[in-house]
Amino acid sequence: MSARSEAAIRVWRARSARTVGDRGYLVYMFFMVALVVAAPVARAVWLSASSMEGAALFASPAAPAVTALVVACVWAGALLLGRERGPALRPPFLTHALATIDLHRSDTFAGPVLRAGAMVTASTTIAAGVVASSLVSRGLAEPLHALAFTAVGAAVGIITTAFWLIGQAFSRAAIPLALGSLALGAATATFPSTRPFSPWGGVALAYPGIGSMSAVATVCALAIALAASLPTVMNRLSHAELAAQAARWDSVTIHAAGMDFSTAAAIYQGRPHRGRRLRAVRPMNRLSVTFFIRDAVGATRTPGRLIAGILALTGAGALIVLAFAPTAPSLLLGAVAGVLLFTGLGPLTDGLRHAAYVASDLPLYGISDARLLTNHLLFPLTMTAIVVITAVLVCAATTGVAVIPPLLSALALALLTLVARVSNALKGPLQPALLAPMPTPMGDLGAAIRLVWALDAVLVAAIAGVSATLILQTPILLVGITSAMLAVAVRRWRQRG
Amino acid sequence: MRLGLERTPDWAAVLQRQLPVARTRPPRGRLVELRVCGLWESGFMIEMDDVCVTMGDVTLLAAVSVRARRGDALIVRGRNGAGKSTFLRVLAGVRKPTAGLVRIGGADVGERDLEFRRRVAAMIGLPPMAPDLTLYDHVLLVATTWARAPGLAVATTRDVLAELGLSGLSERFPHELSSGQTQLFGLAMTLARPFEVLILDEPEQRLDPEHVESVARVLRARRERGVTLVLATHSSALADGVGGQTVWLGAAA
Repeated sequence: MSARSEAAIRVWRARSARTVGDRGYLVYMFFMVALVVAAPVARAVWLSASSMEGAALFASPAAPAVTALVVACVWAGALLLGRERGPALRPPFLTHALATIDLHRSDTFAGPVLRAGAMVTASTTIAAGVVASSLVSRGLAEPLHALAFTAVGAAVGIITTAFWLIGQAFSRAAIPLALGSLALGAATATFPSTRPFSPWGGVALAYPGIGSMSAVATVCALAIALAASLPTVMNRLSHAELAAQAARWDSVTIHAAGMDFSTAAAIYQGRPHRGRRLRAVRPMNRLSVTFFIRDAVGATRTPGRLIAGILALTGAGALIVLAFAPTAPSLLLGAVAGVLLFTGLGPLTDGLRHAAYVASDLPLYGISDARLLTNHLLFPLTMTAIVVITAVLVCAATTGVAVIPPLLSALALALLTLVARVSNALKGPLQPALLAPMPTPMGDLGAAIRLVWALDAVLVAAIAGVSATLILQTPILLVGITSAMLAVAVRRWRQRG
Repeated sequence: MRLGLERTPDWAAVLQRQLPVARTRPPRGRLVELRVCGLWESGFMIEMDDVCVTMGDVTLLAAVSVRARRGDALIVRGRNGAGKSTFLRVLAGVRKPTAGLVRIGGADVGERDLEFRRRVAAMIGLPPMAPDLTLYDHVLLVATTWARAPGLAVATTRDVLAELGLSGLSERFPHELSSGQTQLFGLAMTLARPFEVLILDEPEQRLDPEHVESVARVLRARRERGVTLVLATHSSALADGVGGQTVWLGAAA
């Protein structure tokens, strides 16, 4: 980094210079979090990975193919992530100041790229190290192979960072590259004979137990080549893209710090650019039909979101069926299905959120707030019913699970998550009372309470999922959660605006 | 005073045509006024008597009394912090006054009262916009919920967009508009519905002088149709263009 860049960054950092006390508190926080949170989690991960079951999983014949697929997915994800939030990211003002001076981006933005790369590389190295160590501890792999695989993990991290930056610098090319990565990754996982010809195949061949040293060398060579190209890629970053990403990320961090995760997520939500000539509003005598068509056309204007939503609903339906299979971890699958259903409803409930917004503002539409909200419920309700019922029927027929219990469970869960969506839309801002500190012998519980408040809809969806899978054993649980959710939704409705 | 909606060319004729049907079978949930005539004692469309708003020790709106008849325009002016927006919020029924009496059309104000909602349209800040709808969709949806005939909603939408010079932008999404265009779009959504009282908070915001002039023309036309206008503005051009009685608010706090 040049002296000029360093000077500019020094001035920026001096704005929020930390006192000795601040630094001491940060060190204290770091060690406490490491001791109370990170250490137990790390221990649990290691105990699971090194257990008989964990080692058997890592030593299964399918493990190298799965690893190749996971790596391909991670690289595709990095390319796509770079389009929205790349590693070359600084605060908006600093971005503007450093991107408009006569210095290369490889000089002014090297810092954040290297820091992001170090984080990613550390994560992949640790993941590879855990897998390799688990196999060595059970005598299922040689230490040399384990070491080589850990090095491949580090190389994967470097390649991931490079792809992340490439996604940021070449946002248009990132989509075909990501799709190519996924397709070739799937092909490599399916056809083992293709592994020597692709980097993700190289990762599979470097897996402990196979331990191909030539594959290790190939992957590491690719990582070195891509690392060497990072300055060139950084110099291709445009000011407009850097500024836009910096502004978005700044907004996201501000909203997330205020526990407003919905607004934070909405900042990265895809904006419609298609279907503008499709008539979304068709005046009819029955307003419910008009609103149904309006919501349906509105959803198709962001096709990627809509498809993702439908896939999530399908996945939720399938998980509910699996939850009713004998020996399945029913409660876990139910909770995941609830969260998935809640997430999948997101792209279908844009109209609902708009209605909630309108209901808290000055009168705009010529119908009551309640009728507006009800009309906007029709599309998500219909779509969810169709997708979830189809998924349940198909999955039940495929797996041989009796269809009625999961069908009842899925329908109940669909209704509950829709109630959660309505309630979430009406939630409003964080109440000042929740900002008060709550000192306890374990520390300030205020932050935890605020986090629960921010994520209440997701947590409730998970609990609803659990109760829906227990619909036959203890329906009282489902009745209880339904009553509580309805009570909260009605209270928020009355307090709107 | 009789509320002669027949003096509002675009809506009154339709309301009158619909009246016989509406009397026998009112449409569920719609807020279209079926009673085209009204009579109340004072004859003023807007009555504010000694209205003030305070918050603790802070005065947001010092005591003010105004009256306006049908077709009048109240131009609310004053420095920043004088209480202009609070004045409008009280009239729009979203802020309760600490003291005093407010009546519109002889009735108390309240944004959730269906009769009040039908009578009063307000734009205090931009109205809520849906990211997945185009400008045309937005305005048409608003008009559709108010109009009883689908054809009327389409005609109203086209007229309002044309009036504000937005016809060429009708296929754009809200995020594709400049700030001035967004302001005009907010106005279009507000004007796409029937009303007897129109409350606007600085509609000239973000607009160039040419557009301020066209907004003044549009508002003057509404006034000539019998709409009572209440307008907070810092623009002399807009105030002069609309005409009417100026209400100067002093420093509130």
